[in-house]
Amino acid sequence: MMGPTVHLLPALIGIPLFAAISCLLINNRKITACFSLAAAALLLALVVNLLEPLRLNTTAGGLTYQLGGWGAPLGIDLFVDGLAMILLLVTAVLILILSIYSVFYFQSNEKAARFWPLWWLLVAGLNCAFTAADIFNIYVALELIGLASVALVALDGSRASQVAALRYALVGLLGSLLYLMGVALLYRTYGTLSVVEISSLSQADALSTAALLLITTGLALKTALVPLHFWLPPAHGGAPAPVSAILSALVVKASFYLLIRYWLEILAPAAAELTMQLLGILGATAIIWGCLAAFRARRLKILVAYSTVAQLGYLFLLFPLVAADNSAETYGTTAIAAAMYFLVAHALAKSAMFLAVGNILTAYGHDEIRRLQGIARQQPLSLFTFAIAGVSLIGLPPTGGFIAKWLLLNAAISNAQWWWVAVMLLGGLMAAVYIFKVLNLAFISTSLDQATGCAQVPLGMALPGLILAVLAVCLGFNAEWLIDLLSIGGTAETGTLK
Amino acid sequence: MFDRLVLHETSGTKPALKSSTKIACGLASFALSGGLIAALLLSERAGPGLAALTASRMDESGVENPVTAVLLNFRSYDTLLEIAVLLIVAVAMLSMQPSATNRSMVEVNHRHSGDPVLAGLLRWLVALATVLSGYLLWTGAYAPGGAFQAGSVIAGACVALKLSGRYHFFWHPLKARLLLTIGLAVFVLVGGFCATGDKRVLEYPLEYAGMLILIIELAATVSIAAILLLLFTGLQDDKPDATQAGRPST
Repeated sequence: MMGPTVHLLPALIGIPLFAAISCLLINNRKITACFSLAAAALLLALVVNLLEPLRLNTTAGGLTYQLGGWGAPLGIDLFVDGLAMILLLVTAVLILILSIYSVFYFQSNEKAARFWPLWWLLVAGLNCAFTAADIFNIYVALELIGLASVALVALDGSRASQVAALRYALVGLLGSLLYLMGVALLYRTYGTLSVVEISSLSQADALSTAALLLITTGLALKTALVPLHFWLPPAHGGAPAPVSAILSALVVKASFYLLIRYWLEILAPAAAELTMQLLGILGATAIIWGCLAAFRARRLKILVAYSTVAQLGYLFLLFPLVAADNSAETYGTTAIAAAMYFLVAHALAKSAMFLAVGNILTAYGHDEIRRLQGIARQQPLSLFTFAIAGVSLIGLPPTGGFIAKWLLLNAAISNAQWWWVAVMLLGGLMAAVYIFKVLNLAFISTSLDQATGCAQVPLGMALPGLILAVLAVCLGFNAEWLIDLLSIGGTAETGTLK
Repeated sequence: MFDRLVLHETSGTKPALKSSTKIACGLASFALSGGLIAALLLSERAGPGLAALTASRMDESGVENPVTAVLLNFRSYDTLLEIAVLLIVAVAMLSMQPSATNRSMVEVNHRHSGDPVLAGLLRWLVALATVLSGYLLWTGAYAPGGAFQAGSVIAGACVALKLSGRYHFFWHPLKARLLLTIGLAVFVLVGGFCATGDKRVLEYPLEYAGMLILIIELAATVSIAAILLLLFTGLQDDKPDATQAGRPST
């Protein structure tokens, strides 16, 4: 049963590619800006239109599209289930809002001319990774994402951002190569590259375990799991604001999404409980270490970047919680729903936060936390955005971050793994410390000479961040639809999910 | 893009790695390869993989070379994305180029006489490389060859032209940007227009498959050659001293 909208699935990659080519050829700031906004709106409309066919197609487990009409083992398929759909939806929403912000952010023609083609190529890579159903195709998607991100980080042209970009490039390359080695081992073992076929064939033999460990190391490098996080703060802290937002909100999540696919679906039999506990321990270390480093940061952008390291740690708690939960049959179960909820809430809040910091940086020309006294009076909108996003990151009600943490705590308690509860509560407390440290300074009244050094930020730059922060709060009011969407998964029928 | 960082600033300084770090890295690599070899020895290879399936459907692909069939028909989506990866490299390099949109793409320095022997050799070499590239592209349909090989031969010929010092390439004019994007643009357009009626994206009609693959490869050859040349000029122009050294004589 293929509805007409299913045939639009390749457009998820086609629209960004077309936009990238057009932006490179047009090379005029105003026209490319209008064109990009139109493309972003079109992309969001397309994803929303795919929601309904996905709901109707629950028996098939998701939407499949055979590119070139060849079918899975010979050709390449696109596959979208509930899990992929959530990421596609978050991507489309964020791309639209961040594109609006970028139109105002990149005022100079020269930078805009380089930004838009790379931006759209990155979006193509993200959508490709979320719809991939072929393990080599995933590798190509990772290359697209990795190289486009590196080029975007280097966009600033300053020495610091070039050093960060180079380090990011080398780390990304190492991660991709480790992943590729894993793919080679899997092809040798199973003789196919199709996700569906490997999922049904996979066993817990030595080679599958070796492949899983290689792939996990590669993807963990790209997800910046402690202790492989060293590249993230300079890269995310040195990039232009919309780029930092997309890197923290989506790029690191793409590799995390692939980790979920490998551990819970593609190579589920090879995923031993011990290694899953180890991933959880690394995640817990990331929470504590990220919070400590965020507290010690001197620049606001570095603080926000370290906060990403900490928040990514929560996501990895998914693995020990799922390992213990033997009743889990679909992606709609508590632990996975909690992690996905966390992912969405963090994507919205963190991108709002990076936009707010970008505005502060534009207004003052620096983001040294010590010198940011009294900004509440001069930049109320940006600080308000920062505060709401911060509240969601800490996990206070009524935000999306609160529901996400609540669900994670529930999953931990129902699986009788109380030690994760302690880590999560401590992490929330420590996040509160570094967020309130900034807010506290912001409300100190300032002398007059400091106030004069503040430039005006256009409304087009202030509003997108606020919208994202408000969305992060709204997420807390409407938890049901996301969990409903998650439960549409092809893995439920085949029973390969642990 | 980073060569100033890597080649200039770190040249002459010794890498500050302690010998203990080196030993640790060596041991880790040794353990990793040992583990992988053990895992490979312990497991069985699974059948012939996809080779048999590919062979059985070669007659539907429109070409005779299985590598070309896989790259441009069965798994054409991967190749399309790889060309997009090349475009990222091009855009990243483009931002390092002097942005003069009003200059023409190729500028000939008439005052620069150069080496007469080199000029004479290039006159033959460039023509020969162009013919060779066309042959490589055409032969891809039934023997090893294709867009990547053909593109790199053309790029090599252009590098020789650039090194002669008579020709300079600028990448911001529309013409140059067209050359850089045409590979991806043609691939996306052909793939999209295939989806008419009950056909799917990238599903070439059988009777035109060979022709469409040739068109895609031709466009890809142009873009690959342009991007490789852009990489070379970008790296060379970045270093004023190297530009001088690269010229045979003035």
